[in-house]
Formats: sequence, structure tokens, C-alpha cells
Amino acid sequence: MALDLGMPILVVDDYQTMVRIIRNLLKQLGFEDVDDASDGTSALSKLKQKKYGLVISDWNMEPMTGYELLRHVRADEGLRTTPFIMVTAESKTENVIAAKKAGVNNYIVKPFNAQTLKTKIEAVCGA
Amino acid sequence: MAPASASLRKVRETAPPPAAAGPVDVTMIMRELGAVADYIAHIKSEIGALRANELCRDRIPTASEELGSTLKATASAAHTIMAAAEDILGSGETSMARYRPQVEERIIAILEACSFQDITGQRLSKVAEALGQIEKRLGRFAGAVNARDTADAQDPEEALRQARREMLLLNGPAAEGKAIAQDDIDKLFD
Repeated sequence: MALDLGMPILVVDDYQTMVRIIRNLLKQLGFEDVDDASDGTSALSKLKQKKYGLVISDWNMEPMTGYELLRHVRADEGLRTTPFIMVTAESKTENVIAAKKAGVNNYIVKPFNAQTLKTKIEAVCGA
Repeated sequence: MAPASASLRKVRETAPPPAAAGPVDVTMIMRELGAVADYIAHIKSEIGALRANELCRDRIPTASEELGSTLKATASAAHTIMAAAEDILGSGETSMARYRPQVEERIIAILEACSFQDITGQRLSKVAEALGQIEKRLGRFAGAVNARDTADAQDPEEALRQARREMLLLNGPAAEGKAIAQDDIDKLFD
């Protein structure tokens, strides 16, 4: 199954430079419908207003972290199947395991490259 | 200097009850008071060596300012570099002859923006030096007064932040060489 380049993607990060980097990488991959949010609370609000095909979220944000956002998403009947990739500098094994237990689909440690992002999106949303 | 306080404790413990008190040993009291005075003088000297006013007035604010400037410089450089990259990627120019000078111009902008590293490196060196001074002086002071950390002395706000960090696994970037590799993460998701 090929990637659906028309699917809306939500990028959640409190660091605007990182949002811009991910947006550019997604654009290069062919994704045009990309929204962003600066923390879990505003992301959750956007997720309830629009159907997203993928969430790419940072972990460490205020007031709601990406880890809390993931747990909210997985606990919500309407959102629980939304693919979720964590992109974060939190690189301890306990973080990866906790995210996996909470239902994350994949996990990328910062700094990352375009190929890693592409591979993970394909693994989560593609064939 | 623990001996002075230990001597005082010994005096209190061995002193007879007031009703049975005999003649006062003025020499011993003078000796103990002398030890207390020496201890106080020593503490005052160590507090002076801490140069807390200089730390609060100069070094810490300067370090804070340097970090703020570093943040701004890195953000500004990232913006310039990304804007140049976006211009190159988004250029609709179809003629290679016209595209090449456009790309070269943006590459020069990227190279210029990279000079932030030299300046921020110098700023961070100042911050590292300030932290080194604080560590050295506090370490000397703690050793001189035989300081012990008490569990109940933690700032309540810091305790809350600490509890949140632990609950939500907010560890921040790992130290160099301590982070889990992407390949090892991938194995968990295979």
C-alpha cells in the first residue's frame, strides 16, 4: 500500500524551528496538508476538530507533554487508532518502553535525518 | 569547625544541675567561649571567601545573560539557514544559468550564519567558567563548615517540578554516549 500523500498530518512541538524542519521534510516527501500545535493540549483540541492520518509529536512540552497526549489519544474512542510517532530528545530506554506500552507506533530520537523520518512514516502509514 | 560545638555540648551534658552547682569554673567557660568565638570567626571568613555578593551581582546574571544571547543567536542562525534552504528548495527557476547564482547566494548566507558557533562557543565558555567558580566556592564552603544536606530543605516548587519530571519521564537529552541508539529503538518496534 502506497503512502497517502493527501492525508493530514499534525506536528506537535513547542520549538518552532523543529516544527519548521519537520514541515519542510514532510513537504519534500510530498505531504502538503500539515498542521502544527505547540503542546499536547492544543494538539488534542485540533485532533478533535479534524481527522488526522498521522501525529508526529515531541515528548517534552508544557503544559501537556507528548507522552500525556499519546495516552489521551489512545484512551479516546474516536482517536485511538490514529498513527502516532514520537520524535524526541528523550533517549532513555525507559522512555521508549513507556511510549511503546502507551501505544506509540514508532519512536525517533533527535537529531534525526530525513531518511529516518521517511522510513518510519512508511512503516506506520504505508505498505 | 565541629570541635567547638562538640565542646559546648560536652559542657552542657557534664554540667551539674543548678541546685547542686558548685563554684563556677571561669577558666573553662572562658576557654569554651574562646572556642566559640574562633568558630564564628572561621565561619565568617569562609562566608567571605564564598563571595556570595559577587556571585549574585556579577557572575550569575552575566552567565544568565550569556545563555539568553546564545539562545537568540542559535535561533537566529537556524532561521537564516532554514530560510536559505527553503529558498533553494522552493525555487521555481528552470534555467540552470539563473538557478546557480541564486543557490550560490543562499549558500553564502548559510556559511555566514554558521559563524554563530564561534560567538556562542565563547559565550558558553564564560558560562562554564562561572559554573566552575560557583562549584569551587560552594565545595570549599561546604567542606569548611562540614555542611550536610537535609532532605526537608528542598524548595516546594522544585519538589513539585521534580515529581512531575519523574512521573512523566522528563529526562531531557541524555549525556553523550548514554542515549539509546536509533537502531536499538528500531529493534523494539520490529
